[in-house]
Amino acid sequence: MSRIFIAEDDSAILAGLTDLLSGAGYETAVLNGFENAPAQILAARPDLVLMDITLPVMNGEMILREIRKSSDVPVIMVTSRSSETDEVLSLSYGADDYVSKPYDPTILLLRISAVLKRYSRVEEKSTYRGLNLNTARGSLSDGSTELVLTKNEMLIFRVLLDKQGQIVTRDELMTALWDNEEYINDNALTVNISRLRQKLDGFGCKGAIETRKKQGYILL
Amino acid sequence: MRFSEFLKDKLPAIGLGGAGLSMMLVFMLAFKANTQQIFAVCFIYVLIGMVILLWDFFRRRRFYVRLMEDLDRLDQKYLISEMVEPPEFIEGRLLCEVLAQTSSAMCGQVAAYRRETADFREYIELWVHEIKLPLAGMQLMTHNSPDGKKYSAELKRLEEYIDNVLYYTRCDNAEKDYLIKPVSLKRAFSNTALKNRGLLQQNGVCLSAEGLDTTVMTDSKWLEYMLGQLMGNSLKYLRPEVTGEITVFTAETDTATELHFRDNGCGIPAADLPRIFDKSFTGENGRTHAASTGMGLYIIKSLCTRLGHTVRAESVQGEYTDIIISFGKNEMKDIVSQEEK
Repeated sequence: MSRIFIAEDDSAILAGLTDLLSGAGYETAVLNGFENAPAQILAARPDLVLMDITLPVMNGEMILREIRKSSDVPVIMVTSRSSETDEVLSLSYGADDYVSKPYDPTILLLRISAVLKRYSRVEEKSTYRGLNLNTARGSLSDGSTELVLTKNEMLIFRVLLDKQGQIVTRDELMTALWDNEEYINDNALTVNISRLRQKLDGFGCKGAIETRKKQGYILL
Repeated sequence: MRFSEFLKDKLPAIGLGGAGLSMMLVFMLAFKANTQQIFAVCFIYVLIGMVILLWDFFRRRRFYVRLMEDLDRLDQKYLISEMVEPPEFIEGRLLCEVLAQTSSAMCGQVAAYRRETADFREYIELWVHEIKLPLAGMQLMTHNSPDGKKYSAELKRLEEYIDNVLYYTRCDNAEKDYLIKPVSLKRAFSNTALKNRGLLQQNGVCLSAEGLDTTVMTDSKWLEYMLGQLMGNSLKYLRPEVTGEITVFTAETDTATELHFRDNGCGIPAADLPRIFDKSFTGENGRTHAASTGMGLYIIKSLCTRLGHTVRAESVQGEYTDIIISFGKNEMKDIVSQEEK
């Protein structure tokens, strides 16, 4: 389980983020007072830091520079300042991504998981029931035969596989697809999922994707 | 300043001189001076009079002609007081003094207003950042609570209106708060689409993007805001009888990359088309459809102008609207993109 450190001074946002992240299966840690923020963050040994820029005592950019002296933990800057200059500045201090408030929580989760993957803080799963997933070729194989998936099916399968055993909402799937420039609509998503299901069925994975009514899908 | 005008102005002095001359003549005749003496005195008198007039005319003319020329050349006329050199004659010096005093008083006034506007703008920016905090908090809360979904559309609207304020204060301000660098159109569009996904899907709008694998020199935040506005417009002016479609594509010309943002909505009446970028213009669609403030496209136009892009619209009522933003190409872009490679 990845541990995410939240450096945030707004109590409502802090509570919301903590709920959101623990709901998504992350462990969270928060600042205990704003003194010595860099030391507190480093001591918690997080896998990722969500950092607000406007913090009391020491602002996020300074904390980031302090952290970077001794650690390369991924940092996502989260701020209500939304100008390009702020973003470029943060990135130059060593931030890995920059998200401006207010944000769509689903998009924030997507960014977090992308940064974690980039740093291989989470093992990218590449096998499912003994099948090898080849993202570059867009296919699944059991060693002898290959099952070719379309780009959309691949994207959907990828998301489901990353959260195997957990419910994935249609919202999350949509966000992931749209983030990859696949602007499909509700019907198309349903069609894609049922096609993916058929393909997996035919490849010896019966009942791989289950529908949870009004919640989403789950890969067993 | 013409000589005739000058003479007219000097008429009393000339008259007085003439009167003096005639009185002198009368006296000299009375004293029985001889004709040669009278002639010599008159000649010297008139000559000196003429010299004085001409000298005065030319020194004045030099000053005023220069002043008028400078005034013509200046695009900011109020700066004239900085340009004039005080002449040696008294009216000119007085004029310079008056100019200097009025312009410094005016500058003081302008500076005061400028400070006021800057303060106000600064406060608005600060306020926007402040109000985004509770908004972000609310978005997280609605996302986390099981029945929160119904609030999220309204929160999105709030967010949009707040952004409008921010970009309106930014769009016609002298301060530089944008940063131009190579921006991937694909990335910018996908960010915008992602942000508006909920609304687009609710309205059953199909989105398609082609040929966006290119970079343009712009500020990505501003571009995303503009695309968001255009998307909002398309959603506002859908035609109920057809499925909404938004198509985004690029076209290359010799000097520019043109980004087309095209929808199959209700279109714009030909009569309104030339004025849609004007401030507060609402037109026929503004009256018949959802309330319009006439600010969206105006802000887009201003932002484009500040970024050095141009924007235009093509439309056929009842068929489509195509908003075209064209990003100038230049060597700078090639240099930057080469460096990136």
